[in-house]
Amino acid sequence: MNNPMNPFAKPDQQKPTCMEMLQTILDGQATEEQKQYFKVHMDHCMPCYKSYDLDMSLKQLVQSKCCGGAAPTDLVEKIKQQILQKSS
Amino acid sequence: MELEEAPKQNYSEKEKGEIFNQEFLPHIHSMYNFGYRLTLDRDDAKDLVQDTYLKAYRFIESFQKGTNAKAWLFRILKNSFINDYRKKSKEPAKVDYQEVETYYNSEEVDRQITPDLRVESLKDMIGDEISNALNSLDVDFKTVIILCDLEGFKYEEMAKILDIPIGTVRSRLHRARNLLKEKLSEYAKSMGYNKA
Ligand SMILES: [Zn+2]
Repeated sequence: MNNPMNPFAKPDQQKPTCMEMLQTILDGQATEEQKQYFKVHMDHCMPCYKSYDLDMSLKQLVQSKCCGGAAPTDLVEKIKQQILQKSS
Repeated sequence: MELEEAPKQNYSEKEKGEIFNQEFLPHIHSMYNFGYRLTLDRDDAKDLVQDTYLKAYRFIESFQKGTNAKAWLFRILKNSFINDYRKKSKEPAKVDYQEVETYYNSEEVDRQITPDLRVESLKDMIGDEISNALNSLDVDFKTVIILCDLEGFKYEEMAKILDIPIGTVRSRLHRARNLLKEKLSEYAKSMGYNKA
């Protein structure tokens, strides 16, 4: 598809790859125009269609499984103490 | 040390305290998680975070009030890790990514085979598989996933935190996600998820 109106096109007019488009969408960095374009693109691009669900699920899983919980409760106090010591 | 090229600020002691409490400290949990994922050790993570905050306070006049404190802190932590912590531990030499990145910036990328992993098998991973797989990645790869997927930094912010061009952020992220999928697909296979 050599669409001159591709909103993902780079300043040098180079054709963006599927990977680049998918990434931009996935990471929430696409404009409205780009989102619309990609929706249509997915209808006729099987690799993008398949990758989209998998990549989205993976991203969401990383978010929910790797947040790691809270810092130790004494950490903030320790840091504050050290700063007081150094600045006095 | 600064993220943006900003002139040195002149803060009173009271202002310094305010910036520290209101703009720096709220990020302590994200910072600790990042430190832990890098070092894989709770005590080392504590030291690294403590070190980062002390440095941030020492260089507070390079920080412009109201700008992106989180990115600034992440940058300091990442640099502390590379310069101080990594030197102490006996990590093997850095992999040369040049080759990898040239490859991923080329046309080849669309033809490349992605690991055989299904959404359904991903959804079955309810334990620590994802977390362990992330931890097992090389530091540079897990860093981009943490910054992007966990912390929601934009590519541009990541480029500044990591001192690399945006194109490299993108290709490294792509590579990192494929490596993560490879790990998970191995795991899925071992659990018999992909049999169907
Ligand atoms: Zn496509």
